[in-house]
Amino acid sequence: MKKVTIYALSTCLWCRKTKKFFEDKKVPFEAVDYDKQDENRQSEMLAEMKRSGCSGAFPFTRIGDACVQGYDPGEFERLLEKK
Amino acid sequence: MSFEARKKALRFLFGPAAGKLGYKFTPNEEDADFLLEQEAAIEAETGIPYCPCQARSKDRAENMRMVCPCIPFHRGHYDAMRRCWCGLFVHKDVTDPDGLRQIPEAGWRKPEGGAAGLPPR
Repeated sequence: MKKVTIYALSTCLWCRKTKKFFEDKKVPFEAVDYDKQDENRQSEMLAEMKRSGCSGAFPFTRIGDACVQGYDPGEFERLLEKK
Repeated sequence: MSFEARKKALRFLFGPAAGKLGYKFTPNEEDADFLLEQEAAIEAETGIPYCPCQARSKDRAENMRMVCPCIPFHRGHYDAMRRCWCGLFVHKDVTDPDGLRQIPEAGWRKPEGGAAGLPPR
């Protein structure tokens, strides 16, 4: 099973929908709410997102080696199934 | 001022501004209410109604691009999605907001000319 990490904001509607997508599919994931982290951790998170070619918009979901910005169930599904 | 009162005030303030940009509140009332509530909470904490779905950092100039309604700072991108990133605002002709996709900024193709961008084929 691929490792799934979700960078989110506790105030973000699409982050909640993203977490629910993986909960409903019984796929284990780690969720990190950016707005609950200290400034150092926030800088690390933003740097990682930008290294992946993404802006500072959430949700940012890493599935294995691939990453998805935004709520995109079709892409989540595709990456989970991809060998 | 209570959250309920501040939500009404934000709705009153944002409506005309977004309207002039060709946008309206999402017809999905539950989403609109949730997002306005988040913004009222962010405003109570920071003094500014920032977008509830974008990261604020120590870069104040960058943060200003996320003050709601942040449409003018992301015009081409949002026009390509026909909605703003958090989904509070949609194009005036949108009737089914749930059918709209979030297109990552990286995935949105900037047009050569000035017209609104189109998502990549």
